[in-house]
Amino acid sequence: MKESIDKSEHPDDVPGYCYNRELFYGFDKERGFTRELSYQNQSNQVIIRQSWDALEKRLEQVQEAVRSGNVSPIVYYMEKMLMELPMLSAYMGLNRLRVRWHMTPAGFRRLKPPMLERYARLFEITVEELKKPGFMNK
Amino acid sequence: METTKTIINYTHRQAGHCESGATSNLFKFYGLDISEPMAFGIGNGLYFSYIPFLKIMFAPMISFRNLPNTVFRRATQYLGIEATVIKKIKDPKEAMAMLDRNLEQGIPTGMQVGVFQLTFFPPEYRQHYNMHNLVAFGKEGNLYHISDTVMEFPQVLTYDDLLRVRYAGGAFAPQGKMYWINNLKPGIDIKPAIIKGIKKTVYEMIGIPFPLIGVKGLKWMARDLKKWPKKHGNEKASFYLGQILRMAEDFGTGGAGFRYIYGAFLKEAGELFGNHTELLEAADIMGKTANKWREFTYIGARNCKNRSKPEEDYGMLSDMLMGIAQNEEIVYRKLEKIKF
Repeated sequence: MKESIDKSEHPDDVPGYCYNRELFYGFDKERGFTRELSYQNQSNQVIIRQSWDALEKRLEQVQEAVRSGNVSPIVYYMEKMLMELPMLSAYMGLNRLRVRWHMTPAGFRRLKPPMLERYARLFEITVEELKKPGFMNK
Repeated sequence: METTKTIINYTHRQAGHCESGATSNLFKFYGLDISEPMAFGIGNGLYFSYIPFLKIMFAPMISFRNLPNTVFRRATQYLGIEATVIKKIKDPKEAMAMLDRNLEQGIPTGMQVGVFQLTFFPPEYRQHYNMHNLVAFGKEGNLYHISDTVMEFPQVLTYDDLLRVRYAGGAFAPQGKMYWINNLKPGIDIKPAIIKGIKKTVYEMIGIPFPLIGVKGLKWMARDLKKWPKKHGNEKASFYLGQILRMAEDFGTGGAGFRYIYGAFLKEAGELFGNHTELLEAADIMGKTANKWREFTYIGARNCKNRSKPEEDYGMLSDMLMGIAQNEEIVYRKLEKIKF
């Protein structure tokens, strides 16, 4: 069953990745439970791909919002790091409301350099990149 | 500069599930031959919960595994092995110093880590998932030798990288949790531990009087699945469905949301109890159910690929999931009745 579905339903247009084989268990009537090393099969790659596609889509929306000045670049980098507000505030050690204030353009403008540096260190970028993300230049 | 080098003679074996793999490898290091499914079954790895009102990664929270560190804790408890689990270490430097001391004494040490900043991990897997486990078995200068059961070969991590993953933030933050075995006497009888493990798992899957946990949770999710396209639109329904499949198939489950591993455990247990017919039957049904899970993934993945126009009817998928839930319930009811 596995092979027929693999070949007919999922053509090879899915970008596969193959640098680590994992251990998969299986079951069939004759051999009982089996263990085999293999790469992730096509349908698993589809569902992994899906979550990254969803991220890209969200990033595009956030880029648009940052360009039009509705939110601060912190939101963009937060999304890029796959974070959410509670997680970001936990990593920064700040109150959620304070982080939310930094997410607005007005709050972001008033940020002092030490705080900007802390954000930049968390996002692994420079302060200039934090102030002006790369996509703004295009 | 003089570099200190301590490497313990620890065998890295790949496994389907990170924590039971680490547990089994640690037991084997101390001379107790317990396979991965056995460690998983005794330590109650199997679990299901569906919490629709809690959103993780923009989708309902679905978990196919027990809380982190359950497998190691319960397996050592049921087998009567002296082990130390340190849940929380406030000072990161102290946590690393403790690890160094352990390695110097020749104790391979397990740790809970976050996946997001784990440098050797496949980039596709790097999400904020804090329930991963690995074992450190050596130190060479600034580098730690790491056995991660998801990876094919042993890996190395620098001091800073290891410190960062041990103090990852977010839900179920590791907080430097570490565990190791102190003393393992030879001649442990694992049969009583198996019985305890099965009873606990059965209780967790059908006994807990709360509708979102165990088989009841699975049925609840099957009923909800039918409503998603109308309630949230096709796009979101497909993302939610993808979340179920991601939780079931990826992140080192050995396939089909641990059902294969559990079936293998039942089979091994059946053979250990002198070809116990009921256990072997239960293993057989579990294996078939796991195959159905895999079929469900194949069919569901088509909907995830074509997001706005679902190829498969969500009602059909829901019925399929309901069938799986009923099959699983048969297994647990069977296990409940067994008198050892």
